[in-house]
Amino acid sequence: MSARILVVDDDVALAEMIGIVLRGEGYIPIQAFDGADALLKIAESKPDLILLDVMLPGLTGIEVCSKIRETSGVPIIMLTAKGDTTDVVRGLESGADDYVVKPFNPKELVARIRTRLRPASEGSNTVITLGDVTIDVPAHEVRRADTPISLTPLEFDLLLALALKPQQVFTREMLLEQVWGYHYKADTRLVNVHVQRLRAKVELDPDNPVIVQTVRGIGYKAGGATSAADSAS
Amino acid sequence: MIPQAWRAFLVALGAPFRFWRTSLLTRTVAITVALSGLAVTVIGGYMSLTIADSLFSSRENQILSETARAASTAQSLFENSVTASGSIDVETANTTAQTAIRAAQSSPGSSGFAVLRTPGQITPQTMTSTSTAGLDLSVVTSELRSRVVSEPSQIHYQSVTIRVEGEARPGIVASALFQVPSAGQYELYLIYDLQDVQSTLTLIQRTLIAGSLALVLAIGVLTFFVVRLAIGPVRQAAKTAERLAEGFLEERLTERGEDVIAVLARSFNKMADSMQRQIVRLANLSQVQQRFVSDVSHELRTPLTTIRLAGDVLYAQRDSYSPENSRTVELLITQIERFEIMLTDLLEMSRYDAGAVSLEVDEINLVPLVEDCLDQLAPLAAQKGSPLLLEVRGGYGESEVDPRRIRRIVLNFVGNAIDHGEGREIVTFVDSNEEAVAIAVRDWGVGMSPDQVLRVFDRFWRADPSRQRTTGGTGLGLAIAQEDAAAHGGRIDVWSVEGVGSCFRLTIPRTPLAGWDESPLPLPPESMIIPELNPRDVSEELA
Repeated sequence: MSARILVVDDDVALAEMIGIVLRGEGYIPIQAFDGADALLKIAESKPDLILLDVMLPGLTGIEVCSKIRETSGVPIIMLTAKGDTTDVVRGLESGADDYVVKPFNPKELVARIRTRLRPASEGSNTVITLGDVTIDVPAHEVRRADTPISLTPLEFDLLLALALKPQQVFTREMLLEQVWGYHYKADTRLVNVHVQRLRAKVELDPDNPVIVQTVRGIGYKAGGATSAADSAS
Repeated sequence: MIPQAWRAFLVALGAPFRFWRTSLLTRTVAITVALSGLAVTVIGGYMSLTIADSLFSSRENQILSETARAASTAQSLFENSVTASGSIDVETANTTAQTAIRAAQSSPGSSGFAVLRTPGQITPQTMTSTSTAGLDLSVVTSELRSRVVSEPSQIHYQSVTIRVEGEARPGIVASALFQVPSAGQYELYLIYDLQDVQSTLTLIQRTLIAGSLALVLAIGVLTFFVVRLAIGPVRQAAKTAERLAEGFLEERLTERGEDVIAVLARSFNKMADSMQRQIVRLANLSQVQQRFVSDVSHELRTPLTTIRLAGDVLYAQRDSYSPENSRTVELLITQIERFEIMLTDLLEMSRYDAGAVSLEVDEINLVPLVEDCLDQLAPLAAQKGSPLLLEVRGGYGESEVDPRRIRRIVLNFVGNAIDHGEGREIVTFVDSNEEAVAIAVRDWGVGMSPDQVLRVFDRFWRADPSRQRTTGGTGLGLAIAQEDAAAHGGRIDVWSVEGVGSCFRLTIPRTPLAGWDESPLPLPPESMIIPELNPRDVSEELA
């Protein structure tokens, strides 16, 4: 079944062109030209991924992103004309999983989409415990005690990557490759922002992280692991 | 420590000189006091002399006329003492005469008199020479006596020193002659003590001095206040100017009155107004430009994305086109890429022009960064046949730089080297010293003439426009690189010789905008890995 991708951009020509590219790759494009329209279309068609332009008339892309994240973990890739400003960080903080700078190489865009839409890692068939948090891999659920913690697929992937190798310290480059699929030097802010988002959801005290620990000068690692019954590594 | 104390001493010694130099007030007051002191001294001295002169001469005249009177009184007295028979009782007459003389000597300071017989006379009678009791006759000098005798018709006098109770005082001896009938010529000497005149003079002098000092002091104080009053506005202006210079653009002088100070204040304020307006306008302009830059950035990128996507879609299907269309699409794609790069470069350049550039500084190790860049360009270099070599002599430590910009510079250098390297080796050198790090890229290719070297950083300037560019080449690469280097507080230097090769060296301080003296790398650096690359014998080339 082909994935449905919602393209939200106020530039009609660009939206159409992206649509053509997506169709060429076997996806089904849906178009929205502003924030309100986008929210409508999401409710109607339930897309599998959203391409969201940051500069929109009316509701800004960032506001739309936050709104979407209130109820859904659907993958969101930001399209932005300015790759080196605070816009990117704000977009990521509001919930976007990744971003692409205009003008972009269509191959690049497709690669990002593919990474976000890939099926869940068949890592291991177990439940992993980090501190007081349990990760049920096959069920794709994370709980503390019996309270479920709602994570977006990206956040889940990130947590899982760390949890599968609890002794391993992951550099930002390693995480960019594993979770985001970047094989070259990419923006490490992606990792920073999403670790922060993850901590905000998963840690009891995000300022003193226990589950996702920082290793100064290197990166991050999972903390408080007790047992990972059969590790698939 | 001793040198410290010595230094402090010298500083203290020099303090008055420094004070002199820096304080207009002190200088003015000091000069005024000095000059008025001089004037007062001269005038006072003159006054003192004149007064002394006049005091003394008036007393003198008094004494002389008194002496003349006394002499003539005595003379007539003696003449009247001659009886009808022509005889005279000189001693009686003497006594009478003495009384008369005593009476005549009435000027202040009278200190006695003496009547002395002129020596060398033969007369029928002799009158006794007399003098006031206790009078020291040595005050009547022989010099005076001889003068008196030699010029009998004049009154003579002489200044002498009189001793009174051991004190030496100024005095005058005045003399006149008279004839005693039948006793001959007698000299009358009147002695006067001038101490009172002297005292008066001394008093006057003291008063003059005291008065002068007071006057000079008063002048000094007055000058101080007046100058301070006058300088006040100037000082105020200086302080206000300094505040303006520090950036407090609101500072102004108070304008009061119509005099030249008010004119100064008004002009100053006008100038400050104009300056403030200008600065604010420029700041606004810069802001406007920055906003424009970022708006343009967004506006252009969206249609460009559409074009790019369209081009890529067509390109993906080029196998199904006619050869011409296929080639058309290829050209389309490459030009779109070029356009994109040019757009980015132009926007970067205009950001630098608007002063809207901020470094995103990171502590990184430069060597891996350079290695990365070389890896990135390796395929391109291979195409041209140029081996990319790296000689690291230092610079392993962390440097605070904007990695994106440094990367851009290195890529530009290596790209240019690949394009102009004629397929020969390209060596990248990295080194550091205490203050700075340097990255130099050297090629042994076509080189540049001195004219070309001068223009190599110009915007859109190409050494050889017909040369095939493999690395984009908007003509802005080096201009941007130069700005990137300057933003760090560093510099790019070029060495090039036609037919031999070129070297571009980037030197930046270890922390942004810190000072540095010397670049850690020479220009051009000689390769130590491949000594054959070092200056070849030119004859070998020609042979």
